[in-house]
Amino acid sequence: MIRDSQLFQPFNDEPYTLVTESGEWVGTFDLDLDADTLLRMYRDLVVGRLMDERLGRLQRQGKISFVAPTAGHEGAHIAVAHALESGRDWLFPYYRDIGLLLAFGLPPAEMFAQAMATRMDPNRGRQMPSHNGSKALNIFTIASPIASHIAPAVGAAISMKVRGSGQVVVTSFGEGATSEGDFHAALNFAGAQGAPVVFVCENNRYAISVEYNKQTGAESIAAKAHAYGMPGYTVDGMDPLAGYYVMREAVDRARSGLGPALVEMLVYRYGAHSSADDDSRYRPREELEAWKRRDPLQRFRRLLEKRDLWDDGAESALRAELGETFAAAAREAEEAGPVPLEWMFDDVFAERPAHLEEQWRELQD
Amino acid sequence: MAVQTMVQTIARTLDQEMGADERVVVLGQDVGKRGGVFLATEKLFDKYGPDRVIDTPLSEAAIIGSALGMAVHGLRPVAEIQFSDYVFPGFDQLVSQVAKLRYRSGGQFTAPMVVRMPAGGGVKGGHHHSQSPESHFVHTAGLKVVFPSTPTDVRGLLRTAIHDEDPVVFLEPKRLYRAVKEDVPDDPDFSLPVGKASVRREGDDVVLVSYGGSMAETLKAADALQEQGVSATVIDLRSLMPWDKRAVLEAVARVGRVVLVSEAPRTAGFMSEVGATIAEEVLDMLLAPPIRVSGFDTPYPYAQDRAYLPGPNRILKAVKRALEY
Repeated sequence: MIRDSQLFQPFNDEPYTLVTESGEWVGTFDLDLDADTLLRMYRDLVVGRLMDERLGRLQRQGKISFVAPTAGHEGAHIAVAHALESGRDWLFPYYRDIGLLLAFGLPPAEMFAQAMATRMDPNRGRQMPSHNGSKALNIFTIASPIASHIAPAVGAAISMKVRGSGQVVVTSFGEGATSEGDFHAALNFAGAQGAPVVFVCENNRYAISVEYNKQTGAESIAAKAHAYGMPGYTVDGMDPLAGYYVMREAVDRARSGLGPALVEMLVYRYGAHSSADDDSRYRPREELEAWKRRDPLQRFRRLLEKRDLWDDGAESALRAELGETFAAAAREAEEAGPVPLEWMFDDVFAERPAHLEEQWRELQD
Repeated sequence: MAVQTMVQTIARTLDQEMGADERVVVLGQDVGKRGGVFLATEKLFDKYGPDRVIDTPLSEAAIIGSALGMAVHGLRPVAEIQFSDYVFPGFDQLVSQVAKLRYRSGGQFTAPMVVRMPAGGGVKGGHHHSQSPESHFVHTAGLKVVFPSTPTDVRGLLRTAIHDEDPVVFLEPKRLYRAVKEDVPDDPDFSLPVGKASVRREGDDVVLVSYGGSMAETLKAADALQEQGVSATVIDLRSLMPWDKRAVLEAVARVGRVVLVSEAPRTAGFMSEVGATIAEEVLDMLLAPPIRVSGFDTPYPYAQDRAYLPGPNRILKAVKRALEY
């Protein structure tokens, strides 16, 4: 059953925006976050952007094989991370979530180690870049098959409900994922169970090259929630605070037993789908430039500046600090060394069975 | 000991495991009040309630995918797929998520879960209630696959599967659900290892290897051979991944003749793997080539299913060929 919300009504026609492009707060309620919180959010936005840039450079230098660019999604990322309790709640993310993972606590060195497949990667070098995971941080290891992680997220949420753990799951995906059968299977089950899970669609209007209007005839992704008996909200995902407040409400609802919600964040990916894609074949440059004027970092920075919380000096100091931190983290990750050949045969099962032992011996001969 | 059918044994084993460990939950279509369409979860709902016996929507992807999430969060789910023929909407969950989770997360996340499904033919159900999909699962690294054929083996292996730290696809020969009653051990700790075959008959003239539903016809063929003065060793593989290579190779090396019986389609079926392994490892001990008796490479037929299934006559013909080679 869809219940009334506190600040935000579901199935809104216009996406929720709380901060204008010039940094003006236009919410109908007071911005109740203290300066430290706002500054932490801004820092996380910049962290996401700079990591994306650095991974792109590493890919072009041939140090990593692949990257899924995330610039333009950072507003949605920090909105999700700051609405959750890191270390308690769970994330089932997808591969365009660099900023989300870092804001949720993933150490930069682990990000690099995963991308370079070195011994420091807790996933033991098993997946291509942009596919992190961390049991220590309750971050379910990312998989490539689109939407395949959504039903597992629902299962974890049902477990939380059954065990009364008070935890919440967020699972994120692009709008292309909503066309998969697994999206329907998962939201349908979550609705029937009232599971504490928030579905976050980072709608950047392109599934590789396929545009939104070829993906679905639905007016919005959020509208799909109605059929599953849960609220759906459409949010300006380039406005980090709008995303944050909607997420906070959706997470609170889920935690208090009111069930799942679907939050659609309207974002834009500035880069190509991946380092293997050429987006000039299908996207006009002007469209990109128009979306960049709504950039989440600039918008948030203007808000801070209007409140005398930020200036050029602080910006250069932060960028310099992060540049050094990331350089050191990348070095640390690389120095851990490549994963050994034998690891190929580990973790198929808890123990290595006889036939894999034989195959490992055969490879050594 | 209690005299039970296979399907009664499943319900009883689930009951004991749920009683012993509150992390064990059962989920699937109609597993609740209905007790499962075959009654494999009978009475569990009344005893353990809707939080532990979860009637799911009609969605195999939701059943298998959510079972994985439950396992990751610390439960021990036993999912039921109503017929193995209906697993395919959830096949991506098994292949992409369940099978690979331990590997792709570097051992951080694991999937201690069981996916039970009735499989195989002989119930006049046409191709959508009769298939033998085991090779799909065996060919997906990261899944354990068992296919027992007796109530006692079901009891021992289901318990082991629930306790296993890795995902187990638990195939149940539905035409044997109620075909046999036998004394099944009461001991709640009774268990059998995954990956260990069972020798059902000892003999010196030919080795018959089978598993699942075809074990019934294989044993009938062995009885008929006995009357003709031919003694057969009969091996029930019980587990297909991992499978008991040693038991098969030792018997074949000793006897020199082997017939491989499975009702699944022949090409790239599991017995092709067994035959290839025999050829690679004990070729010089063979007195005849390994011969397969199998289903055919057609969709499972409706009207002609008795001819499709490898019955005793087809098995006997293959044995004759092996003996006369």
